[in-house]
Amino acid sequence: MDSADVVVIGAGVSGLSSAYFLAKAGRDVVVVDKGIVGNEASGRNGGMVSERVDEPALIPLAVEATRTWETLADELGYPTEFVQEGRLQVAVTEEEMGALHAELDNALRHGLHAEMVDSAEVRDMIPGITERTLGGLFFASGGHANTQLAVQAFAWAFQDLGGRLYQNTAVTGFQVVGDRVAAVETTAGPIAADMVVAAAGPQTGLMAGLVGVHIPVAPARVEILATAPIEPLTSMALVGNGLYGHQAVRGNLIFGGGAHEWADVDLTTTPGKPNTPLIRSIARRLAELLPDVADVPVIRSWAGVVEQAPDYMPIIDILDHPSNYVVVTASAHGFGISPATGKVVSDLVLYGETNIDIGGLGLGRFANITPDWRHQRGWIPAPNRF
Amino acid sequence: MVVGAGAAGTAAAIEAARAGVRVTLVDENPIGVSMMGLDVPQFIGRRVKDPLPARDVMLERVVAANSSLAEAEEAGVEVQLGTCVWGAFRNSDTSRVLDGPQLGLADDERSWMVKYDRLIVAAGARDLAMSFPGSGLAGVMGANGAHALMSRYQALASRRMVVLGAGNLGLTTAQMALDRGVEVAAVVDVSSSARGDEALLSRLRGAGVELYTSHTVKEAVGGAGEIESVVLVEIDDDCDPVAGTEKVVAADTVCLAIGLVPNVELLALLGCDLAFASERGGWAPVHDDRMRTSVDSVFVAGDVAGFHDGMVLDAEIARNQGRLAGIAAAESLGAIDEDEALARIDDLKPTAVDAATPDAHSGWQRWHRSLVNAGGLEVLACQCEEVTRAEIIGLQPPRYLGRGSEQASRRNLRTQAGANPVNADQVKRLTRAGMGHCQGRLCREQVALLLAEESGADIADIPVMSYRPPVRPLPLRVMWPHDEPEQVRCEWPKWFSPTHRVLG
Repeated sequence: MDSADVVVIGAGVSGLSSAYFLAKAGRDVVVVDKGIVGNEASGRNGGMVSERVDEPALIPLAVEATRTWETLADELGYPTEFVQEGRLQVAVTEEEMGALHAELDNALRHGLHAEMVDSAEVRDMIPGITERTLGGLFFASGGHANTQLAVQAFAWAFQDLGGRLYQNTAVTGFQVVGDRVAAVETTAGPIAADMVVAAAGPQTGLMAGLVGVHIPVAPARVEILATAPIEPLTSMALVGNGLYGHQAVRGNLIFGGGAHEWADVDLTTTPGKPNTPLIRSIARRLAELLPDVADVPVIRSWAGVVEQAPDYMPIIDILDHPSNYVVVTASAHGFGISPATGKVVSDLVLYGETNIDIGGLGLGRFANITPDWRHQRGWIPAPNRF
Repeated sequence: MVVGAGAAGTAAAIEAARAGVRVTLVDENPIGVSMMGLDVPQFIGRRVKDPLPARDVMLERVVAANSSLAEAEEAGVEVQLGTCVWGAFRNSDTSRVLDGPQLGLADDERSWMVKYDRLIVAAGARDLAMSFPGSGLAGVMGANGAHALMSRYQALASRRMVVLGAGNLGLTTAQMALDRGVEVAAVVDVSSSARGDEALLSRLRGAGVELYTSHTVKEAVGGAGEIESVVLVEIDDDCDPVAGTEKVVAADTVCLAIGLVPNVELLALLGCDLAFASERGGWAPVHDDRMRTSVDSVFVAGDVAGFHDGMVLDAEIARNQGRLAGIAAAESLGAIDEDEALARIDDLKPTAVDAATPDAHSGWQRWHRSLVNAGGLEVLACQCEEVTRAEIIGLQPPRYLGRGSEQASRRNLRTQAGANPVNADQVKRLTRAGMGHCQGRLCREQVALLLAEESGADIADIPVMSYRPPVRPLPLRVMWPHDEPEQVRCEWPKWFSPTHRVLG
């Protein structure tokens, strides 16, 4: 039987980062994925990197990640297109302005470097930004990277260390002996493993179900678009007017936002990722935010399926049973925090603990959640009527 | 809704309207100037007359070029010209928000959505583009683009043309050019003999057109961004150039007439099954003999349903397919019953059966191989993103990132193909080939040919690069939803807002 020290399930950015740091520590690692490297949310998101996060529990991870991004391309040996020129969130209503002030207080309380900028300063930072801008909140440590290059960089660096990558290989079950997974069953045959890292994104809940564990995550489809390349406008990550995004190094404006749609996925097929006419509303908001670019053509849009835990936060933990199963799922924070995620998961696999504070990210916080939580919240797909 | 007012689409619209169906026929011609500059949708290589006639004149010419449009209007079809279809949306497993299938339409100023009960896609085919040194110069265009400029717009700005491809597509293009007073300096093909119609060929010969068989293009040469001459070279059986056989042919236009590729974008967006069939021009929709696709509400007709070189000479094939699609759509809507539908089908004149059409890709591969051998690997395969063949083969990071690392230099298509079939989308994301403003129209096929050649895979096993909306480059201000519901405006959510959090 094929075997490895660690079998990582999922060739997304969290799984590959974990696999890379484990291989770097000398472990024999196999990564399996039902598709190809970075083809799901990891390669489809807005590429945002930031210390600024919604919840305090995520800050230690985000700070570590931001630090690691700075030297990641050199370490991996492949480009990530990481650009660290800051993250600017602008307000176009008084209500949003109030929220920015609250966020500033929150950030300063947690020791982050953030500052308010007034509307004139915002206009200096982003020439041509909407006259409706009232002000902004700036994080100098923020930035963005090329999602597809970065995920592939992890994959190639992992392979360069001798790691094995099995693409187009789906997990079909687990052989559990006593309180441990003995082998991961795949469409390419079983793989014996000392440890399993499940970085299965939207399939996290289904995967854990195979070992009889309930992990609450709900998949959701989200949309984003890209314009043709234009002259350099800004190198910051930019949030405002209901959108998030950045100008790619190549020059394209890449912005997403708007309503998500709850979805269901399965363990063996690739979920459909269609766009909807929502992209017109994204286009409008981008043209409102940056009126000077209104004539620039949109040349592409796409969608991705992310997963969300009930509190919109990552879950990184070792299961009680089976005791050699590490779960990592990021609730759509995955790309930005991925370098730290990999270090933390590697620590958990190697030592059973990590010195980066992930105290708030354990499964224990869902101890009282009921199996029908998605129905209770309405986090389920609309009725099928096609 | 019928998309495309060519022979097939117009016939489909008329047939469905006569069966009592309310039909709208949309066509993007006349194309706006900005789209022409992007070579979207037709590859016109900046050989359009400047200044272009006023829009109403262009509109008149488009109408004049298609005599059956008047017949369609008489049959009650609502005809919308100058209207492109940039998107097609329907509900699926992971998208259930729509209250019915719909198309995204746009003119130069604004966009809007239209719901449909049945959709007939008759979007035609586009030019197969291939690169050679100098192919980025003004004056390199495609046969479909040339046809549009000559017949539909009467606005071709060429004096002396070299035609690449001696199949029916190339020969008719050459004849059409001659008829309009354009000198045809040469018709070139990599095959050892012309593939097209004999009568057409002898007419061209009679007119003094030189035919170069077993030849390819070594380079196009020009100054000030314009083509001035083309260097042809003889090739041997291995498609290698024969030294010392170069011929310099003066020309201001090179017209690529090697092949056409079905415009399957909208069908791909709607999830219609596509299958690779070389004798139908590559990736084409799966359809039955009534022109029904794998999606119940969607029908196809004409070149988009699968193109082969014989269709160039016989518009009746496309017209018949259009009528079949129109009848099938009308029947599926209950406008006519099955007996009536079958009776109408019986009335169709049978056309030459197109079962024995030859494989297109062996010729394409021969062209591609000869151009690579004669022109080298430092030629841009993707003009928009400036990606060379060598960079695609080497899976090199985009050039704007500067010199790659030693590790990156060890990666290439062969190392990538080690365990898995080469994935064209992955190659696109890593190299940016196909990511530009032409939306891959000018490079998809040559990238696929390169991937097949370099990875040793069969061209049929190279998955089609994905299509995403908008399938036309659409300015933000045009995409802007003037019809946006107030609710969408007011209830625009923040990114997965934790304020909704209610923990158990």
